[in-house]
Amino acid sequence: MSWLGVLGVDHPWALLLAPLAALPFFASPLRLSATPSDDLAPDDPLSAGLGAALAAAGCIALAGLALGLAGLHLREQSVERRGVGANVALLIDRSSSMDSTFANRLPDGAEESKSAAARRLLTDFASRRPADRVAVAAFSTSPMPIIPMTDEHEAVRAAIAAIDQAGLAKTDVGRGLLLAFSMFDASSSESSRAIVLVSDGAAVIDRRVQDALRDAAAKSPASLYWLFLRTEGSKGIYDAPAAGEEDSPFSNPERHLHIFLKSLGLPYRAFEARSPGDVSDAMREIDRLEQRPTLYRQKLPRRDLAPWCYGVASFGLALLLAAKLLERRLEEAPSDASVPEPAR
Amino acid sequence: MSFRPDLRFWALAAALVLALAALWGPTAQAERPVYNLVAFIDITMSMNARDQTQDGRPQSRLDAVKERLTAAAARLPCGTKMGLGVFTERRSFMLLAPLDVCKNFTAFAGAVSGVTWRMAWEGDSRVSSGVFEALRLGRAIDADVLFFTDGQEAPPLRTDIPLSYDADGPAAARGLLVGVGGDQPTPIPKYDDFGREIGFLEMSDVPQESRIGPPPADAESRPGYNARNAPFGEMPAGEEHLTSVREPHLQELARLTGLGYARMGAPDALAEAIAANARPTAKPVRIGLAVIPAGLALAILVALYAAPLAARRRSGRRAQTA
Repeated sequence: MSWLGVLGVDHPWALLLAPLAALPFFASPLRLSATPSDDLAPDDPLSAGLGAALAAAGCIALAGLALGLAGLHLREQSVERRGVGANVALLIDRSSSMDSTFANRLPDGAEESKSAAARRLLTDFASRRPADRVAVAAFSTSPMPIIPMTDEHEAVRAAIAAIDQAGLAKTDVGRGLLLAFSMFDASSSESSRAIVLVSDGAAVIDRRVQDALRDAAAKSPASLYWLFLRTEGSKGIYDAPAAGEEDSPFSNPERHLHIFLKSLGLPYRAFEARSPGDVSDAMREIDRLEQRPTLYRQKLPRRDLAPWCYGVASFGLALLLAAKLLERRLEEAPSDASVPEPAR
Repeated sequence: MSFRPDLRFWALAAALVLALAALWGPTAQAERPVYNLVAFIDITMSMNARDQTQDGRPQSRLDAVKERLTAAAARLPCGTKMGLGVFTERRSFMLLAPLDVCKNFTAFAGAVSGVTWRMAWEGDSRVSSGVFEALRLGRAIDADVLFFTDGQEAPPLRTDIPLSYDADGPAAARGLLVGVGGDQPTPIPKYDDFGREIGFLEMSDVPQESRIGPPPADAESRPGYNARNAPFGEMPAGEEHLTSVREPHLQELARLTGLGYARMGAPDALAEAIAANARPTAKPVRIGLAVIPAGLALAILVALYAAPLAARRRSGRRAQTA
């Protein structure tokens, strides 16, 4: 059954021609004798064998042609391979501030926007790592799953390609992270899960969402990377406010998100990037850290078997033609034959 | 002892030559129309109305769109690219750049099935703004737009202000506006903060009339009018909390923008409507011609084997009648 499962045909109706392959067992392309009786000849196993072989040759010729016409092929398959990579959930900020540059200006020819830089470097990152399984989600005012965990890297590129389109208003990072935790499926091995959060800001995480995130972190542990695209003039992750200044998630959301993520008890790294070059370095660092054994599926493209069918058919036809070439008429038999000329 | 080829020999020889020709695999250059599309799905509240059916069970409009879109995408010619976006409030938002649907079908289907009303960031539903923005997004990546919506504007459009569309591009847009929903007014499910369904929208839950723009000229004569506190008068009674597909509005939008309009039907009809309204690009493909020699070889071989059988039957019948 597993073999039938991998074989496919393009035109099933052509399989209706396959029973014609039984014809050679009822008729022969060799010349008909005027006296078609075996009784005249002695029992000869060699002749009987040759007869059966010729019938079989005709059979494979007909069957080969019919299967070739039906378009027999090996279906596209995926094989499980072991590789070095990770199951990565990419969580990308699509808030409108991502559309400005690191210097907080509208992108011009000289300087690209944060989202364009993220797009370019994430595409690089994904194409460097063929053994990864990747899921992509975006978040802004609401979390949005884009591509579920997949091996299809072209789809991952398409999802990353959309991130420099215009974004939305807010940055609901908490629910975004919750979504990212939920994107690991059963077939993503637990030892190699990673969440890569790319954002240029943070926001207060609701107390209930914080609890849900702690639960999710305990249930499906993953290493966590936060790539913080720090805009010029904005507060950083590590800057503690000066004495006397307010220090709360409302005034310093980035610093407090960092403190919260550290408290989850997961392997966690934060990268503060102030330029596309910093982002590139951070991606390389994540690339280096996330080298774990993974199972991923590689696609084997469909393989046409029609040429093989036609080859087999040609072989059968060649045998028949050879038999035809060796064919002699009864009356041409050597004159000293002991077989008497049949009476007419 | 001379070899004298007969008709059967030549037939076999011809079959062998044809089979070898099929093995060699002749091909011809041909062209196939492919499309470059982005499908935008309306995820506003009215799309949760359950007025579609699947296998005799009620189905929400959004679920119907997701199912039909995936099935229609599978019916478009291979090489067609499709992206994905959502619409709510007054914005269309691109999730996925166009990708080859044939090659990445699992991922595309996964992306479509991941679209939920919970992605929506605002409650408004300015369908016309959404369509205009979708066209802008599509033009930026040179893709035609598919827009799935029930056409229900919330708040409703002002009837006294005509709809206008400023196409800031030279070419008329191509693509398809797909009307989703039934003709009967249907209640819209209502959800709480945790996404649990808690009944249906009531008349007072939604604006029954637009409050955008200056008050209409007859505002002073309306009940409850107060120049400072209620310049539009009282909110009138209405049926905006019920939903049905607003075909005239969608047809007008289609006329304004140059899009085609179709009511969402079976996947085959949807794929046909898409093919009829999107710009086809000719993609060169190689078609195998091996079936021609192979078919001929098969015909010759079958004739070769069947001829003696037919002759035997004929002679047998002759023997019987004699």
